[in-house]
Amino acid sequence: MKTALKNFKIRAIALSTGSVTRSYIEDGLAQGIPQIKLERISQTIGLNIRKTALNNITALDLCEDASRRLLRQLDLDVSSVDAIIFVTQTPDYAQPNNASLLHGRLGLSQDTMAYDISMGCSGWVYGLHQAALLCAHGGLGRVLLCAGDTLSRTTHKLDQSINPLFGDAGSATLIERSGAEDTMYFMFGTDGSMSSAIKVPAGGSREPLTSKSKEELKDKFGNITTQENLQMNGADVFNFTLRDVPQAIQAVLTHANYKVSEVDALVLHQANKYIVQLIGQKTGFNPQQVPNAVFEKFGNQSSASIPCVLIDSLGEALTKKAVKVVGCGFGVGLSWAAFAGEIGPVTVCPIQPYPQTP
Amino acid sequence: MKQTDLLIALQSDVDCFSGATIDTPLESLPRWDSLSILLVISHIEANYKIILSGQQIRECRTVRDLLNLIPTL
Repeated sequence: MKTALKNFKIRAIALSTGSVTRSYIEDGLAQGIPQIKLERISQTIGLNIRKTALNNITALDLCEDASRRLLRQLDLDVSSVDAIIFVTQTPDYAQPNNASLLHGRLGLSQDTMAYDISMGCSGWVYGLHQAALLCAHGGLGRVLLCAGDTLSRTTHKLDQSINPLFGDAGSATLIERSGAEDTMYFMFGTDGSMSSAIKVPAGGSREPLTSKSKEELKDKFGNITTQENLQMNGADVFNFTLRDVPQAIQAVLTHANYKVSEVDALVLHQANKYIVQLIGQKTGFNPQQVPNAVFEKFGNQSSASIPCVLIDSLGEALTKKAVKVVGCGFGVGLSWAAFAGEIGPVTVCPIQPYPQTP
Repeated sequence: MKQTDLLIALQSDVDCFSGATIDTPLESLPRWDSLSILLVISHIEANYKIILSGQQIRECRTVRDLLNLIPTL
């Protein structure tokens, strides 16, 4: 599904990571995995350092920290925020939603919309589209988009197929109405027939938490998981990233009438370094156009990974000028969401761990 | 293309097949793991323009079964 919106701009971006630094090799050695095996995987897909949250820190806390830093840097009156959209798969509670909780913490006016979007790795693009809709057609002036997860805690610690992948982070992006005629182009897609490829089976209404959902299951590679953990069928997910994601990027390029050569950066969800490089190759971008450093420094940050790339890899350029960006988020659903347009100049807050060590 | 040629091409991209023959059971390869499955999908897609499903690969018992999924034979 393609769409295009104008009369909005991204004004500022901030991101807070978890405060615990984890090393893939050191963690693996501590679990008794041979160094040669760890190095092979590390070199192939870029597993290195990730930042995870302390046990008492949630996506809400990380996004609150990012939001406060963003609002402080802009010196904005919080009452001027008309809506909060919170994208997460790891909310504090089943009810109420994170957006309402953050509304209360930030002390926003009662005259505010606040709602969650239950999306993972494609979620920042969904949130951007929603915020843009509210500004461009809904008469709102200013929308705070928060996107983040603590996926590192959803996996079983003995599931080597996915446990080492995830970092925890919360992002805040401020979107405002603007008179500019610049257009952002979007392309969305879903494959619900493959919804089991990334799933936490138990804990919702369909399969409540029971003693059975806690039973440990071992696969043929020796990985252990339970029905309460995030499970991923790597081959099926990889399949989808090879087939559907490049198609979505090609489609949004056509939709925006952009040539690959005129795009400053292809900003991809940082699933892992190998997948990012492969999608870049398949869509005809040269490696310099495709930032891929985020996964090695922070891990797979779910819906926070695209704003992380914008700050980490493009932050300096974005503070100074408009940057022509094509991007794509892809993951749980299965779902994919691509965008193309100019971003900047933007106020960029530095990436910081939360809580800060004294 | 002969199966031995397909195997040589596969060996150049996916390290777990070094020393393997057509009849080697996949489960006996020390590095046959989820990463190797991704590398196989990637190799076959890049060279033969078909994307194998996880299910197709999971049903393979030997290297021969895997090579039989490549339709150029």
